[in-house]
Amino acid sequence: MAEDPKTPYEPRIVAFLCKWCSSAGSDLAGVSRIQYPANATPITVPCSGSVSPQYILTAFRKGADGVLVSGCHLGDCHYLEGNYLARRKLFLVKELLEFIGLEPERFRMSWVSAAEGAKFAQVITDFVADLRPLGPQDKLQGQRP
Amino acid sequence: MSGKRIGVFVCHCGNNIAGTVDVAQVASVMAAEDGVVCTSDHAYMCSDPGQNAVIAAIKENALDGVVVSCCSPNLHERTFRENAKAAGLNAFDCEIANIREQCAWVHRDPGEATEKAIRISRVAVRRLGRSRPLEPIDTGVTRRVLVVGAGIAGIQASLDLAAAGLDVLLVERQATIGGRMMGLSETFPTLDCSQCVLSPRMVEVARHPRITLMVSSEVEKVSGYVGNFQVKIRRQAAFVDPDLCKLCDDCAQVCPVVVPNEYELGLSARRAIFMPYPQAIPATYTLDESSCLGLNPVVCGKCRDVCEAGAITYDRKPETVVEQVGAVVVATGFDLYGQEQLGEYGLGAIEDVLDGLQYERLCSASGPTKGKILRPSDHRAPKDVVFIQCVGSRDPARHCAWCSKICCMYTAKHAKLFKHQVPDGRAYVFYIDIRSGGKGYEEFVQGVMEEDEVMYLRGRVSRVYQDGDKVRVFGTDTLSGQNVEIEADLVVLALAMQPSAGTAAIAKTLKISRDKDGFLAEAHPKLRPVESVTAGVFLAGTAQGPKDIPETVAQASAAAAKAIGLLSQPRLSHAPTVAQVRSRLCTGCRMCVDTCPYDAIRLVQGKAVVTDVLCEGCGSCVASCLRAAIQVKNSSPLQMKEMIEAVLRV
Amino acid sequence: MIDPEELRTRARDLLEGGQVRAVIGYRRGSRGWAAEPVVITRPEEAQDLVWDPSCVHNLALYLVQDRRRRGALRESTDRPIGILAKGCDARAIVVLMQENYVQRDEVYIIGLSCESSGMLDERKLAGAAEGIDPQALEAVDFEGDAFVLSSQHQQWRLPAAGVMAERCLECRNPCPKVHDTLLGKEPREQERRGTASAPTMSDPFAELQRFEQTADSAAARWDFWSRQFDRCIRCFACRSVCPMCYCEECMVDSISFTVTPDTTAQEKANRLRWIERSASRSDNIGYHLTRALHLAGRCIDCGECERVCPVRIPLRLLNTKMERESRERFGYEPGASVEVAALLASFRDDDPNDFIR
Repeated sequence: MAEDPKTPYEPRIVAFLCKWCSSAGSDLAGVSRIQYPANATPITVPCSGSVSPQYILTAFRKGADGVLVSGCHLGDCHYLEGNYLARRKLFLVKELLEFIGLEPERFRMSWVSAAEGAKFAQVITDFVADLRPLGPQDKLQGQRP
Repeated sequence: MSGKRIGVFVCHCGNNIAGTVDVAQVASVMAAEDGVVCTSDHAYMCSDPGQNAVIAAIKENALDGVVVSCCSPNLHERTFRENAKAAGLNAFDCEIANIREQCAWVHRDPGEATEKAIRISRVAVRRLGRSRPLEPIDTGVTRRVLVVGAGIAGIQASLDLAAAGLDVLLVERQATIGGRMMGLSETFPTLDCSQCVLSPRMVEVARHPRITLMVSSEVEKVSGYVGNFQVKIRRQAAFVDPDLCKLCDDCAQVCPVVVPNEYELGLSARRAIFMPYPQAIPATYTLDESSCLGLNPVVCGKCRDVCEAGAITYDRKPETVVEQVGAVVVATGFDLYGQEQLGEYGLGAIEDVLDGLQYERLCSASGPTKGKILRPSDHRAPKDVVFIQCVGSRDPARHCAWCSKICCMYTAKHAKLFKHQVPDGRAYVFYIDIRSGGKGYEEFVQGVMEEDEVMYLRGRVSRVYQDGDKVRVFGTDTLSGQNVEIEADLVVLALAMQPSAGTAAIAKTLKISRDKDGFLAEAHPKLRPVESVTAGVFLAGTAQGPKDIPETVAQASAAAAKAIGLLSQPRLSHAPTVAQVRSRLCTGCRMCVDTCPYDAIRLVQGKAVVTDVLCEGCGSCVASCLRAAIQVKNSSPLQMKEMIEAVLRV
Repeated sequence: MIDPEELRTRARDLLEGGQVRAVIGYRRGSRGWAAEPVVITRPEEAQDLVWDPSCVHNLALYLVQDRRRRGALRESTDRPIGILAKGCDARAIVVLMQENYVQRDEVYIIGLSCESSGMLDERKLAGAAEGIDPQALEAVDFEGDAFVLSSQHQQWRLPAAGVMAERCLECRNPCPKVHDTLLGKEPREQERRGTASAPTMSDPFAELQRFEQTADSAAARWDFWSRQFDRCIRCFACRSVCPMCYCEECMVDSISFTVTPDTTAQEKANRLRWIERSASRSDNIGYHLTRALHLAGRCIDCGECERVCPVRIPLRLLNTKMERESRERFGYEPGASVEVAALLASFRDDDPNDFIR
């Protein structure tokens, strides 16, 4: 899919990480020196429940090949129930994106605790591996910069 | 775009970042970013020269804000925000870009890592570009603490708090304070009598002028915020006036009701009016409404008639009180893992199979057998006793995954107490392995094995069943590889500890979280072990996880110290990153009100209004608002949009 | 079927008795046979009210406009406004009450049961029968399971199912659940179904199912939707006609942002524009997906957005997709209760979780 075979396509991922669990989990992956692909750029948010569907749509419309929202495990939310609210809301976002024909692999949600550095690395590794065969996401974006 | 003058400082962190990321390249790319007026890189930004460089650059370049690209904000965000303040800026004029944990340490390819470090730094610049200076929100303090649960943890915390000059409201669900420790016989490894060490503390609680004790009471609702909580407490009807009760026992003598005594764990019976323990605090008889024939003189009325002191009144109702406190210590303790899940060990079905707490009552001088170890079925002294450890614990497939921590020690103690009473008896202990970390603990277990000649068998028990007047135990000794069959007179199970039955409810009431096993969750497993995630709510004792008495006491004192520290401040401050309503856009649809986990939003004249001190800034309201009428300060949707664009810009 | 005269009498009585300050209803429009919404305030105007298969509009929209108007004029009133409400209009009113936009005592709901019929889909009419010129029609009326169409010289009797709006065929609650007075009856299941040859009811979400069966891959769905979104001219007719789109400012339409004399240039520049106004594919997708998500749990399927779309984007598909997920996955029925918390302001422990890693 990449235009130039010499520079293979690298998926660009926007990763919304909650401050308390998933961002801390990514810190632990760092402290443990667990290697994973550099395709995902983290944006720290207070809680997965604060991620508005608009952020996800915008990321895709601005050319993200994949979007990840990662929060605390159910019951572990620093704000008690933000991840439950996120789950319901983002389920609908996922359904809607698939409904209009976006590949289901492009939007992903995960629960990663502060103690799960290895899991965080795995989530990113898997995501990148799943995005590669799809090629660039050009459905929702205006023009690829 | 934002018109701010921003400086970007890239840290090498020695080789930690610079080993992978081309820091000079990051700095030079950031120099071209909109709003960035100066950049530099430094070997160690967090060192004194590094920090001074930041302060100097702010002044020299008249910066409005700084981005430090370095390690996780959990480590040095505070450091650099202090630098910003020292240079005359606001704390929120500093943002951290985490290019170490989230970049340099997890990627090998220098090109890719450098590009990602640039993107991460750019995100931080855009976040900073739109953030506003904010000052902490100032609130007053109520110098009074609610302690929930009056076991040893709650008692210790209350005494420490009161000693520091704070008023304490100690709330206990049961009719007496003392909790689980009150039911124990002698404690490991010193074998001092549990009640003897506990009861002086209980008396002190009762006498202390700063401690208000509420027994037979439960916390129903908690509202407010750190420093200013309102708690609603429901107290069961008190039919016996403790001030009038003379403890003569006349009432119990005439009471026609006989029910199992829960304080003796069902090993003996009690009346509907009774005293939990001779040392009960408050020292008074208690009328148990659920077993009484009806609190009705027409039906019975014997106790009231016989009471010469006139201490008994049937016409009492439960009452609800509302109290103000500034902090809360939760010490709601543990229960044993439910026997209904453990059919294979015969607990509940075979009379001579007991749990550890029941056995404690048999050993206790104040217990149903006056301290004589007699088996329940025929009140004979047992000769062969099997103790089984890890019943329900360390069994993730079927029961609890966790280690209950104290069972190795109390089982050793149980075996020792048995051998002291029945020197010619035989004690067997089935164990997986022995965990005896603690002062004098290992020596204690060794003594039990060697001097008391208790037989330790490494392995699990497969079956326990009644065989005539014996209890037959099948197991495997994995060290010898042989199957073992013991004809026992008594079997004692070291059941797993689990959070007490009301833990889920109190967690919900206090808006604190629980871990995957249901124990109350500490705010940080290492650095904040006695704090909950809710400011002003502290944890003590086994409600937070299995632990022994010294650890419980230590944690209770730590929780008290934390509360004392908190309430010693004349004023408290609350993070200013709270939700803010754009009133003009609000239609009062209530979505944010229903979404808010802290009840921080209410409608005033059809518009949402945030109570700043209640808001924790989680942003659930923001994501739920259809009209973009609410946003969290310094995490605005505009910032989010610019950060998303910053990630995807090429 | 409801006798329109009964409706007029009811409205007249309410206005004469002063129980309501106005009645929102339908009258014969300027376009011959088709009804149009009207707000009447005088008893004698009640004679203009009509009730026939062309009463397609969701009148809850005019309730929203009434509140806006009163808000702008700072007009207070102690009397409710009367409103005719079909099943779908009533569900919309319930959502407005659930969202605290309209209070129960501010409205007097005259419920109208569609019984075993529904509303005429004008587009279906065009190809329904030889020789019918919609322009020449003068009236359209209910008659059992048929619609009777009249021009100056001719009458046609068409089975209703053939020309009825899809959303009416799929409707589960043709009779309003919330009302102050009800005209017409709650239809029995048997009546609702019609006859085998002329069914007046199809499965809920039938059209959605048909779409999913035809476009059964991501590629096929994208092929379909990309063409739909490309057609959008961003006229915002769908938004204008929707009673749920009552925001003061539409967050995805910068031109709706309020500008006052006090608004500074910097404020204008710093306004958050999620979506640009240009009718590009990407911005159109952003607009329509945002709308679908904002209507999740709120859309009560009156089908007005789709009806008014000048480029015929099948917008109901997006909204019914969200509605089906709300019902099936979250057990949430839009427009069913004033008391429950909104779909996205609530959750259940057993909400779908298997899509999360």
